[in-house]
Amino acid sequence: MSVKYVPVIWNRTKFAYDAVVLAMIGTYLGLYLYIAPAFQSVTKPIDGHIYWAQAFGSCVFLLLTVILCVGPLARLDKRFLPLLYNRRHLGVMTCVLALFHVSYVIDWYYAFSPINKYAAVLFSNTSYAEFLGFPFEILGLFALLILLVLACTSHDFWLHFLGPPTWKTLHMGIYFAYALVVGHVALGALQGAAGPLMSTVVVGSVALVVSLHLVAARKEKVTDTDSPPEDKEDTKWLDLGDPLSIPDKRALIVSIDESERVAVFRNGTKVSAISNVCAHQNGPLGEGKIVYGCVTCPWHGYQYRLEDGCSPPPFKEKIPTYRLRLEKGRLQLNPEALPAGTYVEPVQLSG
Amino acid sequence: MALKSAQAFFIGWAKKPPKGLRPFLWAISAVLIGAAAGVSFGLGVSVPDPGSGSFQWGAGYQVLEGVVESKPYPVLRVKPEAAGDTAKTILLSGVGKRGVQTRADPLDGQNVKVGGVMLERGSISMLQVGGKVQITPLDKPADSYTPQAAEDLGKWRLTGEICDGKCYSGAMRPGIGLAHKACANLCIIGGIPPVFVTTGAVQGTNFFLLADPAGNPVPEAIYDVVGRLVTLEGNVERRDDLLVFKADFATVKYNW
Ligand code: FES
Repeated sequence: MSVKYVPVIWNRTKFAYDAVVLAMIGTYLGLYLYIAPAFQSVTKPIDGHIYWAQAFGSCVFLLLTVILCVGPLARLDKRFLPLLYNRRHLGVMTCVLALFHVSYVIDWYYAFSPINKYAAVLFSNTSYAEFLGFPFEILGLFALLILLVLACTSHDFWLHFLGPPTWKTLHMGIYFAYALVVGHVALGALQGAAGPLMSTVVVGSVALVVSLHLVAARKEKVTDTDSPPEDKEDTKWLDLGDPLSIPDKRALIVSIDESERVAVFRNGTKVSAISNVCAHQNGPLGEGKIVYGCVTCPWHGYQYRLEDGCSPPPFKEKIPTYRLRLEKGRLQLNPEALPAGTYVEPVQLSG
Repeated sequence: MALKSAQAFFIGWAKKPPKGLRPFLWAISAVLIGAAAGVSFGLGVSVPDPGSGSFQWGAGYQVLEGVVESKPYPVLRVKPEAAGDTAKTILLSGVGKRGVQTRADPLDGQNVKVGGVMLERGSISMLQVGGKVQITPLDKPADSYTPQAAEDLGKWRLTGEICDGKCYSGAMRPGIGLAHKACANLCIIGGIPPVFVTTGAVQGTNFFLLADPAGNPVPEAIYDVVGRLVTLEGNVERRDDLLVFKADFATVKYNW
């Protein structure tokens, strides 16, 4: 998976994903721009530029909300994982829509003036000391810059170039961008330019994002404390119980401490233990499955051999492995990680 | 079914999602597209009314005669067509976000001919000066017009919003509020007459041309106040049907 920058090429899943996203965006903009005006109760229609800016702007806000909800939803219910998989497509499209929003605003509110329209964005309102009346455009501008950086670095090339931890940290910037956008909308559109429904939508969206994250975080904490009790006699080895209680082709996730988790996989009559952390983007390998004899990451499908934690050739990813043993029919794990790619003979179960 | 889809394992690079998961994914897609439709229609239908202001393109190019007064901002005291008609005063602006101060200053108090397109909203009228006539002094007015002297109406306290007179009159719809603040500032910086729009009608109008207490253009400090609901005190002066609010910005009170 590291031999080329596009580990996954276009396939039907991706086309379907993008088609659904485009259908969603198309439905939103189409109804907003072409159908809703016929049902408005206005003395004179809103200026085209302003109305289009509203349509694109609100669409961006809602898409960002969806993007941020997908993460915790996938953690709460695995069935949402396909939504996570191509999430960066969603991010790039959101960024493009944001650029449309900005161009409509700049070519209307900031046009027709002797002052340069881009300079005017920065200098026409300088009430930085005020809360109401604050130049909310600046918040939107910063959010846009973040979205642009994220969109430009969304390709796997950057993931490899920066390394997964840095890339992941950078892309956490989406939360900051969302906070900026919420401020931008609250101090701008919600101050009289949008109707009461927009306020409800914004408050509801923020509440949804926050509560889903809290619920998902709580669920993970519960899973974490589920770690098996240590064996008193031999503190070095952890008792994992009956190996047959691990579903075939699936894993038992064992927390060694706060930050280290091990995925113990059963492949028929063989049991192996590898790190729970995928080398790609730290995906939870223990939530994956053995497919074609390899552990397959649930996030982007990177694969690892059970016995040595190496991706099958030509790929070069490696993750740490752990030793297992069988004591009186009970499986035990040595919590000391072996260097990534170390071969460990799988434990053979009888029968 | 639920169990089956919960167990289905999705691999991103697989050609298709596992069979058990597909109904769920179709359902989610339908929910998302349905939600997009509902929210979009709801938001689009419920936009606030931007008001009746607009350019009067239908009325065509207008040429008006009268006396130009350049302070605090250029206005035209329109000469009544027939004796006995009520006199009118209209605001003057240039094309785009430009005022006509520099052109009106040297002609202050003179009889002129002004050409352009009207903007109207309620009792507010503004002429966007342009085209062939612009502001042309009348050398020998056949019968020159002398408008009524301004009448001092005393000290008032008014609650409302500072807007730029042009966007409020309909050059932009909506042309008020905080979302429009940067644009309004830009207009006022460019010399468009600022107006004070009161929350309720006062003496049959709810807009006032804004000036400083000495009757000069407003100070830069008002840029922080534009677009907010405020209460201001100051003297009000009547010029025909136009009220000029000479607001004392030291008295500003924010209403929220
Ligand atoms: S995190 Fe991307 S494949 Fe594992």
